[in-house]
Amino acid sequence: MHPFDYIRPATPQDAVAAFANAEAGARYIAGGTTLYDLMKLDIERPPLLIDVTAIAGLGEVDIGDERLRVGALVPMSTIAADPDIGRDYPVLAESLAKAASQQLRNMATVGGNLLQRTRCMYFRNGADGAFPCNKRQPGSGCAAIDGLDRGQAVLGTSASCTAVSPGDWPVALTALDASVEIVGPAGARRMLVADLYRLPGDTPHLEFSLTPGELITGIEIPRPAAGSGSTYHKIRDRESYAFALASAAVVVQRDGDLVSRARIALGGVATRPWRATEAEDLLVGQPLTIETALAAGRAAFSTATPGHHNGFKLELGARTVADALLIAAERSRT
Amino acid sequence: MIPASFPDRARIDARDKVLGVARFSADVPVTGVLYAMMVPARIAKGTLTGLDTAAALRVPGVVRVLTEADFPAPPPVIENGPPPPPPTLEREIAYRGQPVALVVAETLEAAIEGAAAVVCTYAAAPFAALIDSEGGVREMGEEIVFGDAEATLASAAVVVEGEFLSPTQHHNPIELLATTAVWEAGRLTLHEATQGAGGTRGMTARALGIDPGVVDVKSPYVGGGFGQKGGLGQRQTALIAHASMLLGRPVKLVTPRGQIFHLATYRPLSRHRIRLGATAEGRMVAMQYDAEQEQSRHGIFPSAEYHETTSRMYGIANYLGTSADVRIDRQPPGWMRAPHPQASGFAMESMVDELAYRLGQDPVALRLANTGDVDFRTGQPFSSNHLNACLEEGARRFGWSSRTAEPGSMTADDGSLVGWGVACGSYPSMMVPAVATLRIGADGSTRYAASGHEMGQGIRTAIASVLLESLEIDPERLEILIGDTTAAPQHITAGSWGSAGAVPVAMRAAARMREAVAELLDGREIAGNLHRRLATVRRPFLEIEVSEVGPGQGQDVLQALQYGAPAVAGPAYPTFTTMSYIAHFVEVRVEPTTRRVRVPRVVSIVDCGRVISPRTAESQVRGGVVWAIGAALREATEVDPRYGGYLNNDLADYVVAVNADIGAIDVGFIDQPDPLANSAGLKGLGEVAMVGASPAIANAIFHATGRRLHELPIRIEHLL
Repeated sequence: MHPFDYIRPATPQDAVAAFANAEAGARYIAGGTTLYDLMKLDIERPPLLIDVTAIAGLGEVDIGDERLRVGALVPMSTIAADPDIGRDYPVLAESLAKAASQQLRNMATVGGNLLQRTRCMYFRNGADGAFPCNKRQPGSGCAAIDGLDRGQAVLGTSASCTAVSPGDWPVALTALDASVEIVGPAGARRMLVADLYRLPGDTPHLEFSLTPGELITGIEIPRPAAGSGSTYHKIRDRESYAFALASAAVVVQRDGDLVSRARIALGGVATRPWRATEAEDLLVGQPLTIETALAAGRAAFSTATPGHHNGFKLELGARTVADALLIAAERSRT
Repeated sequence: MIPASFPDRARIDARDKVLGVARFSADVPVTGVLYAMMVPARIAKGTLTGLDTAAALRVPGVVRVLTEADFPAPPPVIENGPPPPPPTLEREIAYRGQPVALVVAETLEAAIEGAAAVVCTYAAAPFAALIDSEGGVREMGEEIVFGDAEATLASAAVVVEGEFLSPTQHHNPIELLATTAVWEAGRLTLHEATQGAGGTRGMTARALGIDPGVVDVKSPYVGGGFGQKGGLGQRQTALIAHASMLLGRPVKLVTPRGQIFHLATYRPLSRHRIRLGATAEGRMVAMQYDAEQEQSRHGIFPSAEYHETTSRMYGIANYLGTSADVRIDRQPPGWMRAPHPQASGFAMESMVDELAYRLGQDPVALRLANTGDVDFRTGQPFSSNHLNACLEEGARRFGWSSRTAEPGSMTADDGSLVGWGVACGSYPSMMVPAVATLRIGADGSTRYAASGHEMGQGIRTAIASVLLESLEIDPERLEILIGDTTAAPQHITAGSWGSAGAVPVAMRAAARMREAVAELLDGREIAGNLHRRLATVRRPFLEIEVSEVGPGQGQDVLQALQYGAPAVAGPAYPTFTTMSYIAHFVEVRVEPTTRRVRVPRVVSIVDCGRVISPRTAESQVRGGVVWAIGAALREATEVDPRYGGYLNNDLADYVVAVNADIGAIDVGFIDQPDPLANSAGLKGLGEVAMVGASPAIANAIFHATGRRLHELPIRIEHLL
């Protein structure tokens, strides 16, 4: 860990201006649950931390008829425990309730959570140069591809990187077609959450579609159609405080016994929150049974590329999608 | 005289711990303290060719960077003498993460920054990181042989065989390794998180070439030991002690968890090949068992002890046990809770379950028919063996009689497969010498000082139980000094001998004190407690000293105790063998689609002789079962053979069980005193609590799914 400067501006504009004036590598910080961790591991070495927690107006939750708006500074635990969100957006509340630990959820914010970095062990452990990592040190190679890759991605991988996108919340937001509100040096803009994440390709060190200095201020989530059912189903090595081996955020609308629309996003298996459109398309007009649900699950992994120790994620992921679909269908009304 | 059953009593330090009053070694306030941080080697093997400390010394607050040149040469190895102390700093790198320098600074932050600024250059050498890596050297251990296993197996009606694997695992107590050294007026005081204050004193003195008589070690509370803070000593202790002596100021190190993974001992990966023969009626008659484990180049964790319990648990008359170390380039492995039987028990109890299925017998009935009164390994009787009572009581509480034997035959309402499994465990019941002083004051105070370390297992509560049951003293002013070399000689507390080392001597102290009081009062009847009686006769205090040794031990072991050397008796005593026993019954549920495994309930019944402290004893067993659930389903340390070291070196990625993984754990005790083991009639508990619970889970998974899994941990991918 290295010394750094620290400021705590009062407005988004001040924060953005401070970033613009700082030397390269400055970081915004809110709960700090990822950033401090990576600073201790020497992965992140910011010369300046811009603490955004004093900025007013970023801590509001607004449940409207058409949409839910959540300020970037709302703690994860607030959304996880909100009874109205639990009722109207179960997939959101469940994704946060099943993430991290209560202590982390109390500290971490829903905005910062979107930018959590991968848990790839070769990424986290190699600051002393012990392991190559194209994400940590561009061009150095990838130790995970021929290494212990049980936790690595099977979707969206490249020859440069197989690191998993670790989050739960971004997966749920991706399923709900949520968007983020951003301010930056060039002003304000919006972006779909799904567009926030880049595929690794041959530039795995570039993880997000934000330009330097941009700050996420809020998240807007369109309300699912009346009667739809949703869930976030997460399978992991233990029942809490663990990252997903495979997870599925699903929203199901039915017309009679048949699916009229399904939205499916995957976590724990891909290099970014992964929308499984092939699986969604397959379900439209179908009844939801264990057979159709499993077929959809398998379709979600039809393009997957397993490594040495993570091949089980194809089958586990398919079955996780299937269980999630059946849970969501059970919750839906026609 | 063996005491009657002890009443339930709250943990005497519970309130202090909840309030944060109990002081663990890193909490001890020391004025003027300097902070240290180690610099770990980046390579897995080779030579440190350069060490540039200039940048580190420029970090504001860094006081000094210690290197190999600052330390004395290691002491000569003494033939048949005590094991050598851990090395200090060396240029030869034996494993990744070995400390190559120590940065000492005015603040913790400066120490961390300084450690990162030390620039090392290395000449890397080829290395072997795993048991199957090229360059590993296989070394056979002691053979355990009795009867004629080969011939009996050749003619046995039924033989089951299989190979089993137990992974590398790390202890991960919540309390990190912590050392604070204070060098003052010619004495060195070490506040150390250790299970062996006496051993730490001797190891540190030998490593630095100083007189152990000037070293004091204090370890009154340990935040979980599990063997990690035990016999081999910590490499960091002498480094910090030396830094304090060089700098003339107190120095403190709390080692980050990621470094501990690379420095401390661990449960080595081990492989177990078993052939188990039985008669057509199900009498186990012969066993051949070959065990091998990963081992460091100079490690001493003994491979032959995989046979310690497997050769004794059932009355198998013909046994052929081999063992081997495979020496590779890692730090030394060591004792981790249920050290050998966690792995050997998984192998053996899986085989016994398979034998039951092969014979079409109930796994409980098969076990009941195979326990015995004789230790075939020595030919001696067991001093007590209530394993059958454990099995019978466990089966009754669990409702075993409603089990249907066919794998996959039981399902829950939600479609989950239900599996019911059983397995037994045993562990040597050992005993160590102890010296205790007891002083009761007319002012209402009682001070008891003895050997022992409180790692959370409840040794203070057990001692208090004995003293408060036998002496009329004020419980509020009872001070129990343990883990402190200035109060009493300290034997290492490990191997489940904590109670045997602490309780009989406390009983003897109480009895001696009663005699002393009777002598003092000389027939006078005086009302009130002992404090009151002393006050009445104007005696400020009474103090007595007593000692205790194990069965068959001579008084010479008290001398060893003074030096901090291990002096362990049992399990084979001169005329009998003493083992503790447990039977675990486990229910698992396997989800139909994703095959997620849950463990909703466990029943564990223990024969540990007389129970001294019911509440902490139950807690010990629950803890053992919780760990076994983690070990069976989750825990493994990951080593990439291309790099060495440990990848999942934090509590997020090294997956131990959490509360949400644990269901009901029903603990019962037979509570029958062992008449020969010691004057308290107690047998060891902490280790046996865990033994057998992991195979009970594996057997339950077999019952649920029909899959016999030969490798731990059993993960979701093995069941898809």
